[in-house]
Amino acid sequence: MASAAVIGAGMIPFGKHEDRTLVGMGAEACRLALKDAGIKPSRVDAAFFSSGLAPKLFGDFTVGQNVFWEVGINRIPVVNVENACTSGSTAFFLAYNMVAAGQAEIALVCGGEKMCVPGFGLISSGETQLDTQLGMVAPAGFALRAVRHMVEYGTTKEQLAKISVKNRAHGALNPMAQFRDPLTVDEVLSSPMIVDPLTRFQCCPIADGAAAVLIASPAVAARVARKVNVACSVLVTGNYKNPQNLANWETDRLGASKAYEKAGMGPEDINVVECHDAFTISEILHYEALGLCPPGEGGRLVDEGVVALGGRVPVNPSGGLLSRGHPVGATGVAQIVEVVTQLRHEAGPRQVEGARAGLAHCMGGDKDGDCKSCTVSIFSV
Amino acid sequence: MSNHKTEQIPPMLPDIFTLPPYGGNPPMLLGGYCGHCDAYFFPKPRYCPRCLETPESREIGNTGVIHSFTVVRTKPPLGLPQPYSVGYVDLNGNAAGSGLRVFCLFDPDSTERLEIGAKVTLQVGSLGHEGHGKARLRPYFKPVAQEQEK
Repeated sequence: MASAAVIGAGMIPFGKHEDRTLVGMGAEACRLALKDAGIKPSRVDAAFFSSGLAPKLFGDFTVGQNVFWEVGINRIPVVNVENACTSGSTAFFLAYNMVAAGQAEIALVCGGEKMCVPGFGLISSGETQLDTQLGMVAPAGFALRAVRHMVEYGTTKEQLAKISVKNRAHGALNPMAQFRDPLTVDEVLSSPMIVDPLTRFQCCPIADGAAAVLIASPAVAARVARKVNVACSVLVTGNYKNPQNLANWETDRLGASKAYEKAGMGPEDINVVECHDAFTISEILHYEALGLCPPGEGGRLVDEGVVALGGRVPVNPSGGLLSRGHPVGATGVAQIVEVVTQLRHEAGPRQVEGARAGLAHCMGGDKDGDCKSCTVSIFSV
Repeated sequence: MSNHKTEQIPPMLPDIFTLPPYGGNPPMLLGGYCGHCDAYFFPKPRYCPRCLETPESREIGNTGVIHSFTVVRTKPPLGLPQPYSVGYVDLNGNAAGSGLRVFCLFDPDSTERLEIGAKVTLQVGSLGHEGHGKARLRPYFKPVAQEQEK
């Protein structure tokens, strides 16, 4: 039996929200999740808030307490979580563990980000890190993996471009997605080159936004008709061994295999996936790490439509980071909102038929050739 | 590049490479060596991650081959040129225990002639700044000159 279930979910559309504050966006997402669950704020036992950038961009600290007070939550344990792009899914991991350990009956998780500010530039993993001082920026780490994947497995730039085309087609069906116009392979490949071979449309856009979910114990969830069971929630860290294999991501694979082991499932049991498509190559690498195909065959999956809506295992039916945008603190939670929506069969035109089990995967940070954090959570009904 | 002014420019971080004046010797990358574990690391860690002893700073090499490379074409950070290139170099194995795969900058003038498998040699020079306009020395790899065709 699952040791926790998601009983409420909510998010606001991602995009440029110049007139909104981080606290306002977070509060709205929390209110949506609480209303969705039919739970009064006084019943929440613990709350976790994630933002990747608020301290750096705005000098704002301990934002979570401000967000949760707006929806009537105070006195209970509140934790502010930062784990790069996995800030939101790490907040979920912590909340899930607290409920599963019996230390909370109901826990609220909210991720938010306000990052559409002038002159934002490219994200790095920290000014004091050697890699950053040598010019590492987020797209470069993935571009270097793309180069090796193309050399070792013959992955083509057209296959990379098809990821953007697929995710835009999915995003067109998602009112929460920022970019909903279709793209062609030619349009993707002819957009400005950011870091070879990744062109602009192969890189996820920045965005503002917030998402929230409510996790409950089996006893509370038993009374909730639209509950979605949490089969597992896993968090792993990079290993920083030298040399790292760039085309075959050991840490990514570790997170996936731990999740499958804890959930008692395999990749063949998963009907829908939300994964960290910060760049097109990321999604191909994650297909392979998640065991959706053997190493090196990720390009084939997209060529054959296996991972598009209508295929055997749709990946990023929400449109993913590429189409939604990537408000850093919100993404990990938004992915879970999508998986939950899919398993509740409430995704409308982007519904994956007959979805019974879904997986949310996220990854964050760069250090010494590896990521810093990787989360995999599996859900089922 | 090996003039008096270069010698006055600080490195972007300490203990990453040997500093000028070089007196005819090539610049070398510095890593960490733990004698207890006979293990090399790049960059030198504060403590050996295996036994927690303090590693010593050691030269780990200055030549290798390109394992992967890319060109960053958007607005660069840290005053680096636009475009600039970065990648991974596999250092040549030698007595200094290399075989380490190091993330690195490439010579900005060589951006369009990098190839996987190309042999490269370390250079050090004033390249970019520290985020607030003050020049810094950085290490970068440069493809070796091609042999003349006979």
